Amino acid sequence: MQSMRWAWQYIRKYKIRMIFGLALVLLVSALNMANPYLAGRIVDDVIYGEDRNRLWLILGLMIGFTVLRTIVRYGYQLMFESISQKVIFKMREHLFDRLMGLDFSFYDRTKTGEIMARMTGDMEAIRHFTAWTIYMIFENVTIFIFAVTFMFSVHVPLTLAILAVTPIIGFFAFRLSQDVKPTFTEIRNQFAKLNSVVQENISGNRVVKAFAKEHYEIEKFSNENNAFMAKNLQSAKIWEKYLPVLDSLAGVLTVVMILTGGFMVISGSLTIGELVMFNSLIWALNNPIRSAGWLINDVQRFIASAEKVEELLLTKSQIKNGNHRIGQEIEADIEFDHVYFSYGNGLALADISFTAKPGQTIAIIGPTGSGKSTLVHLLSRFYDVTDGAIKVGGRDVKEWDLHQLRSSMGMVMQDIFLFSDTIEGNIAYGKPDASMEAVQLAARQAEANDFIGMLPEGYDTIVGERGVGLSGGQKQRIALARALLKDPKILILDDTTSSVDMETEERIQKTLNSIQEGKTCFIIAHRISSVKEADLILVLNNGRIIERGTHGELLSQKGYYSHVFQNQYGNFDIHLMAGM
Amino acid sequence: MNLLARNKFNVDEELETPFNMAHLKRLLVYVKPFKTQIMITVIIMLIASGANLIGPYLIKQAIDKEIPSKNIAGLAILAGIYLVALIITGICMKFRIRMMSRIGHSVIKNIRKDLFTHLQNLSFSFFDSRPHGKILVRVVNYVNSLSDLLSNGLINLITDLFSLLVIVGFMVSINAKLAIFAMAGFPILAFVIFLIKNAQRKAWQNLSNKQSNLNAYIHESINGIKITQAFVREEENKKIFDGVSNGYKTSWLKAVRVQFLLWPAIENISVLTVSLIYVIGVSMIGNGITVGALVAFVGYIWMFWTPLANIGNFYNAIINASAYLERIFEMMDEQPTISDRPNAKELPMIKGAVEFDHVVFGYESSVRNLNQVSFRANPGETIAIVGPTGAGKTTIVNLLSRFYDIESGEIRIDGINIETVTIASLRKQMGVMLQDPFIFSGTIMDNIRYGRLDASDEEVIEAAIAVQAHPFINQLKQGYYTEVNERGSMLSNGQRQLLSFARALLADPKILILDEATSSIDTETELALQKGLETLLADRTSFIIAHRLSTIQNASKILYIDKGMIQEEGTHDELIRRRGLYWKLYTSHYSSLKVI
Repeated sequence: MQSMRWAWQYIRKYKIRMIFGLALVLLVSALNMANPYLAGRIVDDVIYGEDRNRLWLILGLMIGFTVLRTIVRYGYQLMFESISQKVIFKMREHLFDRLMGLDFSFYDRTKTGEIMARMTGDMEAIRHFTAWTIYMIFENVTIFIFAVTFMFSVHVPLTLAILAVTPIIGFFAFRLSQDVKPTFTEIRNQFAKLNSVVQENISGNRVVKAFAKEHYEIEKFSNENNAFMAKNLQSAKIWEKYLPVLDSLAGVLTVVMILTGGFMVISGSLTIGELVMFNSLIWALNNPIRSAGWLINDVQRFIASAEKVEELLLTKSQIKNGNHRIGQEIEADIEFDHVYFSYGNGLALADISFTAKPGQTIAIIGPTGSGKSTLVHLLSRFYDVTDGAIKVGGRDVKEWDLHQLRSSMGMVMQDIFLFSDTIEGNIAYGKPDASMEAVQLAARQAEANDFIGMLPEGYDTIVGERGVGLSGGQKQRIALARALLKDPKILILDDTTSSVDMETEERIQKTLNSIQEGKTCFIIAHRISSVKEADLILVLNNGRIIERGTHGELLSQKGYYSHVFQNQYGNFDIHLMAGM
Repeated sequence: MNLLARNKFNVDEELETPFNMAHLKRLLVYVKPFKTQIMITVIIMLIASGANLIGPYLIKQAIDKEIPSKNIAGLAILAGIYLVALIITGICMKFRIRMMSRIGHSVIKNIRKDLFTHLQNLSFSFFDSRPHGKILVRVVNYVNSLSDLLSNGLINLITDLFSLLVIVGFMVSINAKLAIFAMAGFPILAFVIFLIKNAQRKAWQNLSNKQSNLNAYIHESINGIKITQAFVREEENKKIFDGVSNGYKTSWLKAVRVQFLLWPAIENISVLTVSLIYVIGVSMIGNGITVGALVAFVGYIWMFWTPLANIGNFYNAIINASAYLERIFEMMDEQPTISDRPNAKELPMIKGAVEFDHVVFGYESSVRNLNQVSFRANPGETIAIVGPTGAGKTTIVNLLSRFYDIESGEIRIDGINIETVTIASLRKQMGVMLQDPFIFSGTIMDNIRYGRLDASDEEVIEAAIAVQAHPFINQLKQGYYTEVNERGSMLSNGQRQLLSFARALLADPKILILDEATSSIDTETELALQKGLETLLADRTSFIIAHRLSTIQNASKILYIDKGMIQEEGTHDELIRRRGLYWKLYTSHYSSLKVI
């Protein structure tokens, strides 16, 4: 019922149209009886009764009713389709909205295939329900009620006798709906798994080929594919158990009618005419019962899917939006005040404190997994600190309006993601209305203009998802251009030039220096050359700052930093420089 | 410069071969193995319809005979027969549901398996040239849409055709002339279907495209969510999504608008035909037909249109499914650009001697990404490849694994041209660490073991120790059994590179390729890693692409690549003495350090 209530929020908007549509359904059900009746009249009046002139009238009525009925039916079918599409459109919109707003920790733990399944397979089950099942249920229920009411008006005891079978039918219908529900949940869960295994195979196709693991992948896929079939058959097993029973019980109504009706006629409490009338209406009880099983399936399938969709819609982002907005840009002074953070698996950051003023560059260096990326993710509030506070522009990041906070930042993430769009579209991602000149300027600043110019279609070249087709260094520079185009107050470069050659990196650094006025820049890197110019270098290890200072200061401290320096530059022979 | 993608989410894909009869035949190939089961089901359904037909007859008997004659025993017998008929129908229905779902789901399963298996043979360029969501939708959603057609549609078609024949038979036996008139509706119906068909085909093709676009956009939005949030693009993306979603909605409504026309057409044509029969039949009374015969005839004529409408429905379903089938078969027909030659042999256990002999290659025919590249690597040597980004470094190692085929020249391993051996035997002997470390969902253990599936836990841990991944894995609460996923939750890029490195090493390859394998790994770890690797790399030929000079100085040979050609080749010392490009690269690295 919970799912129904949820779906109702969306359907409610079309209440009037739905009622109108259902009224049309009723009209068509009534018109459905016209043709058999008229056909009967032809046999009785025209053929046997030899009233040949009436033939034209009856045929005219028959054609007229059919035309009317088919038009009305076409009309309400489209109407229900249109309502259901509108409902689905809204649901999808809300789902997408939710997906856009969910935080990193949700995406860290949820498989892409699982989300895809909700957006496709589950939505299809809901669509089918709103477009078809709702009015089919209504049609069947009204026909049933109509027939029962009519039968009561003819003969109460016989009607009661026939209806005596319905509790048994109700019992089986109830059992069906109880037993079939979990199978639909399992089918849709398996559908999500199937989606995931195929999705990962496609995304990881390079690894699969590099390791010649095609057979293993096929085996992995086959397991899920076979399981998907098995889950479907499991559901079919429930159907084959109950649907024939419901179908036969629907027929039992007829048997009861003819047997008790027969006795009543013989004993004189019912006329033969009344029995014939019952007989001509018994289909209106049989058919709804026959359809009931299939409709119960549809409803349970809908509920299984709706639960999953609703669950996603109700997933809360742990990052709550602050409400502080200001008219101008946020000033780029930053303060980390005894920040602690945990992903739930030990401390990822502990006791981090430092300040940065506009115009400064903060570099972060340290071993793999020491918390460097985590630190800048906290600054953008992709996660919230466990303890302590981060202030930007003199205010806790939790108080800022998220959009304004993030708008002030330009970020190049370590794991470069490009969209399957043109290079221009990718660079302008953060500023879709940017002019071509601005895009080119950003590309030049990121030293990307030259290689883009060499592509056959230049800025109009479409790059694949994740930027496949470009080298690592090229992707990094497009991502850098994307961040620079925003002209952000806070620029965050997470391992941005690791795949770029030294000479290009040096040119990029010069450009960055020239545009840095009023901006705060964070650079995460492993190369000394990338960090040496920074105003403050933080050395992280195991989530703690173990050294801090400028390049010169850190060298004289003879700690981790100077050790790294020795490793990178120690054996350099100065005399090689001669002639430079 | 690499082969660049052709398609994005908001562009409909062009269709190479539209649906045709050959597609239908191919679909039937999947159905064929079940022909016995289908025949059995059809027989069962005929029995069921026989049992169904008894019902009205029994009622008629009861009302006309047993009740008026107050024969209670007779009435009870009739009721008893009716009950037996109901039980038979029930049993038949049980079988029908069982058979139909088995057949339908088996066919779906087999089609999907073939499609997926074929997908494994397709080359990088196939995956690179379209959004991944568009491939996914074919394997998962399109195949699913065939389910109804295959399970219910096919068997209903056979039984409907059968009952149509029976009814026509009855009609002809009553009056052949009237029977011919009864079929007058056929040509009109065929004409109407012909009219609707083209519009319906187009509408469903359009719909399948829009569905594909929608999937592609959702897929990409999920994978790119971090960038979207970092760039505050949520509102803009919602607008785009609404556009794509609306495209799907509009094309759906367009499609059903055409599709739903079929039923009114069938019903109206049927009522017209029936009227015609009444007019002709009534005028024929006493003139070739008796009243009784006419009544019997018109009884059948209504029955005649029900299976016909069902067949129309089936036709509708075929038209709709063809929009999916043509895409499915299109993918099955996609030729892998890299495949084993007909007489390809297994590559024997190699020693690891690699030779590039005047290799010329371009990702696209108009461009040359590598030009006349020649070099040799002896077993056990470490070859470092350096040069500006986009110079062709990754291209060289991609060619060695035969991810692409070269234009001219030859690549030899132990003197054997790699194009003459099977791809699997070649790649199995190489360990490749790609630029993008990809992590599968599963445990860390599983991810490393991907390199060699039969490796024991100890061997996996050994590999992790060798690449310095062990310390951080050990710090995780569940250690090697920590669940990770595609986006590598909670693992840093450097950690993912280490896992990917361990995976490559575990494969125990004779040739190891490290493409920027350590770009996100700190110098300390890297040095420790290099020391640990010295013994492990001793009997392997390795190719290292890196920008950090500390990584490459000790290589047996350094290749400096620029503009697709080897500009310089030699050891670190040789190249430094030469005072050329490598020297410039090396010293510029240091000259930037004002401190020196």
